[in-house]
Amino acid sequence: MTRPTAKEIKAIAEIAGVPVDAEIAARIANSIGPAFDGCAAVGGTLPFDLEPATFVGVQTARTAR
Amino acid sequence: MSPEPALMSLTSVAQAIADKRVSSREVTQSCLNRIARWQPRLNAFMAIEAEAALKAADAADAALAKGARHGALHGVPLAHKDMYYEAGKVVTCGSRIRRDFVATTTSTALQRLKDAGTIRLGSLQMAEFAYGPTGHNSHYGPVHNPFALDRITGGSSSGSGAAVAARLTFAALGSDTGGSIRMPAHFCGVTGLKTTVGRVSRAGAMPLSQSLDTVGPLARSAEDCALLLGLMAGADPEDPTAVTGPLPDFAAATTGSIKGLTIGVPTAFYVDDLDAEVAAVLDATIAALKREGANVVQVELPDQRQLTAASQLVLAVEAAAFHKRWMIERPQDYGPQVLMRLQNGLAIPGVLYLEALRWRGPALAAHRAAVVDVDAMIAPVSPIAAPTIAESDVGNGPDAEPVIQRLTRFTRPINYLGLPSLAIPAGFTRGGLPVGMQLVGRSFDEATLLRIGAAFQRATDFHDRVPAFT
Repeated sequence: MTRPTAKEIKAIAEIAGVPVDAEIAARIANSIGPAFDGCAAVGGTLPFDLEPATFVGVQTARTAR
Repeated sequence: MSPEPALMSLTSVAQAIADKRVSSREVTQSCLNRIARWQPRLNAFMAIEAEAALKAADAADAALAKGARHGALHGVPLAHKDMYYEAGKVVTCGSRIRRDFVATTTSTALQRLKDAGTIRLGSLQMAEFAYGPTGHNSHYGPVHNPFALDRITGGSSSGSGAAVAARLTFAALGSDTGGSIRMPAHFCGVTGLKTTVGRVSRAGAMPLSQSLDTVGPLARSAEDCALLLGLMAGADPEDPTAVTGPLPDFAAATTGSIKGLTIGVPTAFYVDDLDAEVAAVLDATIAALKREGANVVQVELPDQRQLTAASQLVLAVEAAAFHKRWMIERPQDYGPQVLMRLQNGLAIPGVLYLEALRWRGPALAAHRAAVVDVDAMIAPVSPIAAPTIAESDVGNGPDAEPVIQRLTRFTRPINYLGLPSLAIPAGFTRGGLPVGMQLVGRSFDEATLLRIGAAFQRATDFHDRVPAFT
């Protein structure tokens, strides 16, 4: 997972329907970039069958102590 | 009986009204008197509805005189964060965009408190769209900390923290998506309960992130939080994500001893880079819990920085999706920092967002495995006590994200895991600023947190300290 550049963010934002100028794109890159870095170790490593709803299953499973 | 009814706890005042030792009008007038004095200094209220509150108090007293008590909080005046819809009322969500928005429905949490007999004092200030951890609001001004007026309250439930601390309301609803209940509780010296995702219905509460949003109270004690949670929790046909099934007796939990309970202290992350005074409060809190009979052990947690990062991705995308229409049509009506943070969500590809959601289950399972031998974990809410309003007024400048990340460092991982967390006043700095600690529990085990919090509060008086009006 690579943090996006300002140029890439400008393109993504336009596709999302909320265009931003170069200055804002640079600010976004600076602001959210660390979150990309933080998740880098997880990206592309998750098992095939894993769904978001697994969270609810884990949440409600009884804890054995 | 306290000479000033507003200084009583929620539990005590509800019982005093029920016993007719004090009238709802006397209690409501007492709160209004304090609001009149404090509001010019705090900016805690968005709207004050004095006349309507007194009229409702008179009706509550008249009903009680006829033997009709409408619920556990009959005649108790409260005010809540201005993001809980109440039919016919303006609900600003702390924003310019919703300055004139009149709700047509009433949120489930609020309705359940109304059904218990509460009276509306008005509405409380908040960060714009609940998207800010400091208490700054570029449209309505910052909320000031009652313990030091030049300091922040924390956010986003800024008015809730300030108003409960200054005894302007007996309790207040907040919301917690990245720390928005726990941080004002920490900075303002009150008790705040972030509930498990799914514990309290979110129907009629302004959304920020459907995966992370939680509804919960800020109050003067764990006992008061337990009373409110018991009234609000449970299934709701209006919110399918609210869990079904029997509820624990939260109030009963607060009377229990903590002898034999095991509390975990993280070996890293939550104890790193703490301000020295916050570290000292953590040590003192651990010592107090040991004196009350708890076993304290160290726990080694998975990498919390990854949890923080994942929570940022989820929050950014979901908030941007909720706000997309207004980002296109009314970008000029957002405050600079909120708009900047909403724009962050535009940069995150769908696959990464879904990966962050898919990882949530395994991340929670790993956390559960790490804390399997403890009943709760203790950690600071934030590495520092309240900074000044001036130094944290970073807008959308280059310092904005580092300041936000520093304040929310210890709260965001808990939101990602969806866990309950009780913030309790645990000490004060030498300069008189409150310091809170958070007790983090197992999913849906708020009762154990309330039990520990109440035991700690029976042994200490930090939660009883009232800021001086200077």
